[in-house]
Amino acid sequence: MINFNSLNIETVSMGIGVILFVLGVWGIVSQKNIIKIIISFTIVDTSIHLILVSIGYIRGKSAPIIDAAINKENAANEVVDPLPQALVLTAIVIGLGITALMLSYALRMYKENKSLDINKFKALKW
Amino acid sequence: MDIVKKIGFVLLGLFIVLNWGLLMAGIMRKIIARVSMRRGIKIFQPYINLIKNYSIRSQLTHGIMFYLGPVFRLSGGVGIFLFMPMIYGSDIWNNFSFTGDLILIAYFMFFGMLGMALGAGEGGHPYSAIGISRGLAQFTAIELPLTLAILSIAIQYQSLSITEIVAAQQGSILNWTLFTNPLATGAAMISFLGAMGHSPFNVVMAPQENPVGPPTEYHGTFLGVLQTNRAILHVVEAVLYMNLFFGGANNWIELIVKTFFIYFWSVFVGMVFPRFRVDQSIPWLLKLPVLIGVAAIIVFIV
Amino acid sequence: MVSPISSIAVLLGSAFLVGLFKKTSYSFAQMLSLLAIAFPLFVSAQWLIHFIGTSDGAVMLYTAGAKPPFSVSLQIGMAEAFLTLAVNLLGLLSIIYLMKPFKELGVKALALLLILVMGLNVIILSRDIFNIFVFLEIASIALVGLILLGKRKHTYSAGFKYLIAVAIISSFLLVGIAFVYYFGSTLNIDDFVAQNLIVTKGLSTALFLLFIAVLLELKPFPANGWALDLYEAAHPGVGALISGGTATASLYVLYKILPMGADYWSDVLIWVGLISFLGSNILGISQKNANRLLGYSSIGQIGLLVAVIGFSDQLGSHFEAIFFSLFISHFLAKVGLFWLSGWVGKTELTAWSILRTKPWLLLVFGIFLFTLIGFPPFPSFFGKWQLIVDLASEHGFNWIVIILAGSLFEGIYLFRWLGYAIKGEKSTENKPLLDWQTALPIGLFALLIIGAGYVSNQWMPNGQSINLIPVFFILALFVLDFLPAWIKNTISIAGLVVYGYLLYPELSDDTLRLVFAVIFLGGGILTLIAGYSVKGKRAGFFPFALMMFAGLIGLVEADNLLQFFFAWELMTLGSYVLIIRGKRSMLHAYNYMLFSLGGAYLIFMGMAMATAGQSGISLEILRTTAFPGWTYALMAIGFLTKTAALGFHIWLPGAHAEAESDVSPMVSGILLKGGVFGLIVLFLAMGGEQAQANPLVYVLGWLGAITALIGNLIAVFQEDAKKLLAYSSIGNLGYVLFALAFMSNIGWMTAITYSLNHFLFKTLLFLAIGGVVLRVKTHNMHEMGGLIKQMPLSFIAVLIGIITLAGIPPLSGYAGKWLFYNAVIAQGWYFQGAIVFFAGTIAFLYCFKLIYAVFLGQPKDKFRQVKEAPVWYIIPQIILIIGIMVFSARPDLILKPVGELLSGSAYFPTDPLNWESVTASTNLGYWSGYKIMLVIGVMFMVLLGWLLLMSRKAQKIKQFDIVYAGETPFTPGTTHFSHNMFAPLYRAIGFLTLPMITQSWNRVNSTVHDFADSARKIYSGNGQSYLVQILAYVVIVYLILF
Repeated sequence: MINFNSLNIETVSMGIGVILFVLGVWGIVSQKNIIKIIISFTIVDTSIHLILVSIGYIRGKSAPIIDAAINKENAANEVVDPLPQALVLTAIVIGLGITALMLSYALRMYKENKSLDINKFKALKW
Repeated sequence: MDIVKKIGFVLLGLFIVLNWGLLMAGIMRKIIARVSMRRGIKIFQPYINLIKNYSIRSQLTHGIMFYLGPVFRLSGGVGIFLFMPMIYGSDIWNNFSFTGDLILIAYFMFFGMLGMALGAGEGGHPYSAIGISRGLAQFTAIELPLTLAILSIAIQYQSLSITEIVAAQQGSILNWTLFTNPLATGAAMISFLGAMGHSPFNVVMAPQENPVGPPTEYHGTFLGVLQTNRAILHVVEAVLYMNLFFGGANNWIELIVKTFFIYFWSVFVGMVFPRFRVDQSIPWLLKLPVLIGVAAIIVFIV
Repeated sequence: MVSPISSIAVLLGSAFLVGLFKKTSYSFAQMLSLLAIAFPLFVSAQWLIHFIGTSDGAVMLYTAGAKPPFSVSLQIGMAEAFLTLAVNLLGLLSIIYLMKPFKELGVKALALLLILVMGLNVIILSRDIFNIFVFLEIASIALVGLILLGKRKHTYSAGFKYLIAVAIISSFLLVGIAFVYYFGSTLNIDDFVAQNLIVTKGLSTALFLLFIAVLLELKPFPANGWALDLYEAAHPGVGALISGGTATASLYVLYKILPMGADYWSDVLIWVGLISFLGSNILGISQKNANRLLGYSSIGQIGLLVAVIGFSDQLGSHFEAIFFSLFISHFLAKVGLFWLSGWVGKTELTAWSILRTKPWLLLVFGIFLFTLIGFPPFPSFFGKWQLIVDLASEHGFNWIVIILAGSLFEGIYLFRWLGYAIKGEKSTENKPLLDWQTALPIGLFALLIIGAGYVSNQWMPNGQSINLIPVFFILALFVLDFLPAWIKNTISIAGLVVYGYLLYPELSDDTLRLVFAVIFLGGGILTLIAGYSVKGKRAGFFPFALMMFAGLIGLVEADNLLQFFFAWELMTLGSYVLIIRGKRSMLHAYNYMLFSLGGAYLIFMGMAMATAGQSGISLEILRTTAFPGWTYALMAIGFLTKTAALGFHIWLPGAHAEAESDVSPMVSGILLKGGVFGLIVLFLAMGGEQAQANPLVYVLGWLGAITALIGNLIAVFQEDAKKLLAYSSIGNLGYVLFALAFMSNIGWMTAITYSLNHFLFKTLLFLAIGGVVLRVKTHNMHEMGGLIKQMPLSFIAVLIGIITLAGIPPLSGYAGKWLFYNAVIAQGWYFQGAIVFFAGTIAFLYCFKLIYAVFLGQPKDKFRQVKEAPVWYIIPQIILIIGIMVFSARPDLILKPVGELLSGSAYFPTDPLNWESVTASTNLGYWSGYKIMLVIGVMFMVLLGWLLLMSRKAQKIKQFDIVYAGETPFTPGTTHFSHNMFAPLYRAIGFLTLPMITQSWNRVNSTVHDFADSARKIYSGNGQSYLVQILAYVVIVYLILF
């Protein structure tokens, strides 16, 4: 039996991140529909964000936002590592851009071939 | 030695060789005829032919190379004579052999052949070219045993100088290469059969037996020149074999006797054996005679 | 100096700004983009000049007013300045090149390009791995946006495959970065390295993800199908950006993060890179689509660069120069080729014959391809040289074999391609227009390659020992190519004369070299004289002819291995182009090049092994090589490909026979001596007489003898006059090889006599036959006949030539034969010797056939009007005949000093040859060329006089005044006996001439092609299998490592 009390949030989110990553990659490789492939990619993307966040988490500390609750002088001891969170922000933006681009490609591919089956796009090879 | 005197003796030697050559040709015809149960020509018929041909007035030429062909041919014969030491130990009769050795003679033989081939070629007659192409092809195979034999005796005597080779055979008949190196002699004597143009290696001459062919296309003076050459060449080639394998000659009598037998070796074989086609003769020559030649070399290596 | 941060700002700002413009003001936006890219270009150039001028180290730039790890830092040093310069230049020229397609797409495309260039700049400059990741993504997004430009079919699917692959790869990268941060608490590369972080298991996995992702960005073989599809589908302008731009940036990232990994990452890079280089080039062999082929080649070249980065420790202080020269070659040539493919428009390799409509483009194409392969004087030559020499000093011979094998495979497809362009079937379609937007970038890159070649040359250790004067002279000839042929010809001849004059004092003591210098330069001058008969411009002929001669003379001058190999390759390059000029030469030139290339790499390998463990690269070190067996065997085989020894001869007949009339003597009489000279250098290194017991020498002796026999025998059965001469060359070079292999004083005298003779008579014969061919327009001897009447001078030349060839006294051929007998007997190689003499007798057959079938026999109706060969062909023939006569009468003039030189040297002290005025003698025999000449001359004249006297009234008769088969012939066709002339001989020993060697080479060829063709099926075209390949690649590398 798993002892749920010993589980902590960073382990859980890391675990879920890894599981999602594997699932996503599996989806990308196994799905035939281009839209489903793109969705699988967003799952991979999300999983990485989870992993990133879990890396920067320090138990018992608050979000790295300096406001009334957090003393400016003592911030370094009270908040979690802010850098991964900043990284996640950037990564989300990039992921968004790539997803958008993928979708626009999917649209054009559909217009060209009237199909979204990735196996129909094998004209270029060898 | 005074150069004029030298040239004088060279010309004298040439005269002797020419006469001996013409005589041998007559004798050869006579013997062939008798063997074939015919009466045959007069012994002096070659002289008559020669004089007749030189005196014919009407002559035709196909062009400059046709004209030069006989000159080349005769130069070939005379040249070999010039480079050949005729009589052992004689400064007078060694001609111009100081300019080159055995290799010079071996390669100068081609001079006349080439010129003749080209001259006849210009005549435009296909039989000439057919004869020449057969002759050259067979010649390559004839040369190989001879080359091996020459290599063998060069190893034996450690010399390529004909004079030295003859010198090494002096003293006793057992010093002749024939006895000291029978394998090389054997290979070379088979090669000699081919070089003399008698059966079984005379299909080369076959086109002559049709109305035309290299020698018969030439006529009059041209033919005379060719006949002159033939007479000289047969003697000097025999002299070459004599020098290499049969102890050379100490005087003209010895030379005449020895060359007679060497020459008639080819005539006798020719009388007995039928002729090969060229594509038969080449493989034949490349088998047994080459093996003998190889053996002649292996003997010295081992 | 302007901070590079401002160039990033300018690029980013102008990208936004450009995006705001409307279609109506497009040209303004265009101008703005040009300026926006010109600015960083200027900045990079400024920094680069600064770093070159001073010896300052790299400068660190901090952002956000804080130092790392709290901020992102950038660094600019020499490398960054140079790479950003390259990327920015590519961006600027891309805007120009893509001007038309961009105009249709509007301002968006301009903005994307600016973003891409900005991204690349940051990737190169940044020292922060997350920052690098972000801009890699930005650059990818911009690039994928640009891919939409391609109007070719299937662009979208290719782009999609690319996008997914990149997304997966960047996921790995991001996870890797996250873990690196987790364990190392820093994202700054320098910080990471400085802390010397303990390599824990987790951290090495994190580093693994980081490295493998960056490697995958570089498209390693075989996980690269996604990139190949994109190369094929994308607009060539975009292909150029991928191959030249993103690859450049990713390579630099790899270089930057390399110190983060432990040492074994260097090994990984080496193997990943080399496998890519070899694998990609093998699979490229079967490729028919030009753009996809460029993709294969690109991946291969980048693989090599990755390996070079991995080698950076081994290369030490040479790393920068090597990387520069290899990188710049790939960058300029590959981008240039992509741009060219845009102009060609069609994808099939065969369609590139369209380049012939614009000769300068063809030249540029050649420059790009030769650069990729690594021919001098282009930069990659120097890079590859130093790389391999340095690897050899580390005893990295396996690596060298892979690099050279990969280069050879690359040569296979690149030269086939070049062949199609130069000689392929002419396309019937209209030629595309060449606007300045296309011409300018391509032309500029070609010029830059030449500049980069100079830089590489000067930068490389020992590079400055190379004499560049001939190269500059050749470049000048390219510039002067617009002049009429006769002016260029005069300039070329003058160049050779002056060079010879300047060179003479240097060589006057060394007769051996002098003989070859005379063959190369004198032969060059003579054969060029024949070129005066060509009217018009003869575009592109003279620079390459001079290149060949420069290479040949460079061999003679060479003191060190680099000079020698430089000259060797220069010679190969020049002669290849000369050969391919022939009408039906495409295949033959290709074969020539492949054998030359293979041979050159073997020589290279041998030289490299010789340098291992020794200091310096002077030719002397060949003598003290630590691997004598390998060094000598490899070099010997290499040189044998050039002398066309049996087994390596199949290129020669076609190459020599189909070449132009005045090129055949160059490549036959003269070029082959280059190989002979190479063998001489090699054999001297092996130690002269001491090497007699070397089994290699013994094998070469046999090989030479058999080559002589088979070469001559095949020549006998030829119907094509020039093929006959070509096979005769194979035979003759067999003699030379045989004689050299004696490794004795007299053997070498023989070889030199033969070489000189072969030069004299083969040049003479090829000139004479070439002159005939010019007139009768056919090579077939049985179509000719009786030409003696129209061409008496040519006839005399051929007559003299064949007498010399056959070795008939009194001409100089006999000198060779006489020396030969002496050498053979002295050496004891009787059986080999007998084979060679047999070959010599066989030579008579083709000599007779040549002169008879062409000049004698029956004149044909259609050739009754032909004239004597052009006077410019006759002049060099007369000079050569004089040369033969002088050499025949006074062989002592040359042989005596050569003999003294040989016996005076440490190599061949035993001199069996004595000279007594004009008579030579050994303890075997004697020979006096002068006296023989005199005796035969006098005798011949006397006999001629005798015949003239006797037959002075001979009457000239007509052609058909003969009787044949009972009638007088009326047509020459039935009467000229020449076809299949030696049928009886063929029936007897023709089986020796069956093309067994050609067949086995063909089998090798088809096996390699079949393999490549089936192996490339792994690129199935399915985007998901590409992903599986990527994942499998990651897993396999991981398993190998851990």
